[in-house]
Amino acid sequence: MREPLLAAQGVSVRFGGLVAVDAVDLAVHAGELVGVIGPNGAGKTTFFHALSGVLVPTSGCIVIVGDDLTGEGAHAFARHGIARTFQTPRVFKEMPAIDNVRFGLEFAGRTRSHAHDAFDEPGTILEFLGLADVAAVPAGGLTPSKQRLLEIGMALGARPRVLLLDEVAAGLTHAEVELTAQLIRRVRDELGLAVIWIEHAVRVLMDYVERVAVLHQGRKIADGDPRAVAKDAGVIEAYLGEQGEPVTEPGRKAA
Amino acid sequence: MRRFTLRDSIAATVLAALALAAMPWLMSDFALALTLTCLMYAGLAVSWAMFCGATNCLSLATAAFFGMGAYVTAWGIGTLAYGLGVLLGGLAAAAFAALVGAAVLHLRGAYFAVITFGLGELVRHAITYYEKAYAGTVGRVISEPPETVTIYHVVLLVSALAVVTALVVRASRLGLALRGIGSDEERARTLGVETRRAKILAFSLSAFFPGALGAAMAVRWTYIDPLSVFNPFIGFQTVLIAMVGGAHTILGPIASSVLFSVLTEYLRLQFPYLFLVILGLLLILLVLYLPGGLASLLERWRWGKSRA
Ligand SMILES: Nc1ncnc2c1ncn2[C@@H]1O[C@H](COP(=O)(O)OP(=O)(O)OP(=O)(O)O)[C@@H](O)[C@H]1O
Ligand SMILES: [Mg+2]
Repeated sequence: MREPLLAAQGVSVRFGGLVAVDAVDLAVHAGELVGVIGPNGAGKTTFFHALSGVLVPTSGCIVIVGDDLTGEGAHAFARHGIARTFQTPRVFKEMPAIDNVRFGLEFAGRTRSHAHDAFDEPGTILEFLGLADVAAVPAGGLTPSKQRLLEIGMALGARPRVLLLDEVAAGLTHAEVELTAQLIRRVRDELGLAVIWIEHAVRVLMDYVERVAVLHQGRKIADGDPRAVAKDAGVIEAYLGEQGEPVTEPGRKAA
Repeated sequence: MRRFTLRDSIAATVLAALALAAMPWLMSDFALALTLTCLMYAGLAVSWAMFCGATNCLSLATAAFFGMGAYVTAWGIGTLAYGLGVLLGGLAAAAFAALVGAAVLHLRGAYFAVITFGLGELVRHAITYYEKAYAGTVGRVISEPPETVTIYHVVLLVSALAVVTALVVRASRLGLALRGIGSDEERARTLGVETRRAKILAFSLSAFFPGALGAAMAVRWTYIDPLSVFNPFIGFQTVLIAMVGGAHTILGPIASSVLFSVLTEYLRLQFPYLFLVILGLLLILLVLYLPGGLASLLERWRWGKSRA
């Protein structure tokens, strides 16, 4: 089998007595779109922190295209092609939107290029996201939903091989969520990235991804085809027990 | 309106420096001394803002760098050429900044401010101890200082170089990295910036100028001792000038150092007993009503014009 772009092996993160992420394995390949779901506090964001080098895991290792980066700084992960968004947008507020996108191109993405070289231009990325008209506006002045889109733009600017999206559709209207989901599929298709996408809106997510992993109390309790996962007894119990949003059978929109 | 390019700005700086270079033959001694003070503070404030304005780190280390430079002169005078002493003063401060920067640059906010202030005290006490224990002196007399015109030209050169460096840094990847660090350091790291290296590099670069200026200005005093050259007032004054001018700009600190030097001189002559009180009040008013500094006035004016 091909070498995965990103492989987490037995990754655990402990905060004092709390085990936020518990021996999670996950491997993703180029062109894969993987959803990650799980109730509040399941450890999804913390797992992303470990995958992007923001946090050093307590145990386990993270291998990016064959290189073990465990213990390295976040900049090393970024230069290896891991780009992420943050659950609460962390744009550079004082900088114009376009410089936010340019930032990753100048640093993380300096030595790579996208499969489509149009995406090597910050202007094209903004246009793709529908943000061309606010290119010169300081990012702090954008609406929260535009800041979320800009977060994706910042990550794309880094010319990633793996894109980690943490609840980029949170707080959006239904139409906006659909739009964002289509956008994500398009970057995956056109740029051939591996995408891992955390989302609370389980139903939308299940419609768009081909594979979904479920975290519960730090452990990965399921990983596979969304239809199979939705029927998994353990998953249903995790959701019913925690917040009562049942994982319904997704209507497959895209194959 | 066309925006100024880097080349335009550098050309403007060089022209201004050339015009200022002629001043010793056009000005009275009093005006020249005042211009020298302006130039020194402009160099100090611009180099301070180069690092601190972009990264939002409050460094009080200017006095430490300045004093180190002054002591390079104090020790070298007679054996070192004046210009070489200035260069060495700058390099000593830059090396020192790189060394301590590696240890303290992960600190933020008040911790960073206090630690950098402590650096000045540390170096001051170290030199006091060294002088007493090994050289058997408490201070040094500067014999045969260079001509005022020479001092003026050297300070002008160092300050102009500080402005050009600040312009180049602002337009470079380093400048972008520093602004990212100032905005959200961890986010900058997740986009590929090795923030530690960028900060050490910029901190060290920005320390060269106060070091060189300390070495250049030291010859103006006939007598040098640690208490007078590691004067925390120089550090505070630099921070104030840069912030009142607008620390995220280059023109702001320059304008504000002229304003400060002239105002201080005027008030001292007019109100010899009250001038510090008046200066303090003016400062408070400025900080209260113009938190973005003088530069924000210009920005507001430009913004108004672009909307009209
Ligand atoms: N820095 C931290 N220190 C201590 N505990 C933390 C820290 N960050 C997260 N936690 C805890 O770790 C657990 C997992 O949190 P995490 O944010 O990863 O969950 P999540 O799945 O992203 O949740 P949500 O869906 O609400 O975003 C939670 O119990 C949280 O309180
Ligand atoms: Mg989360």
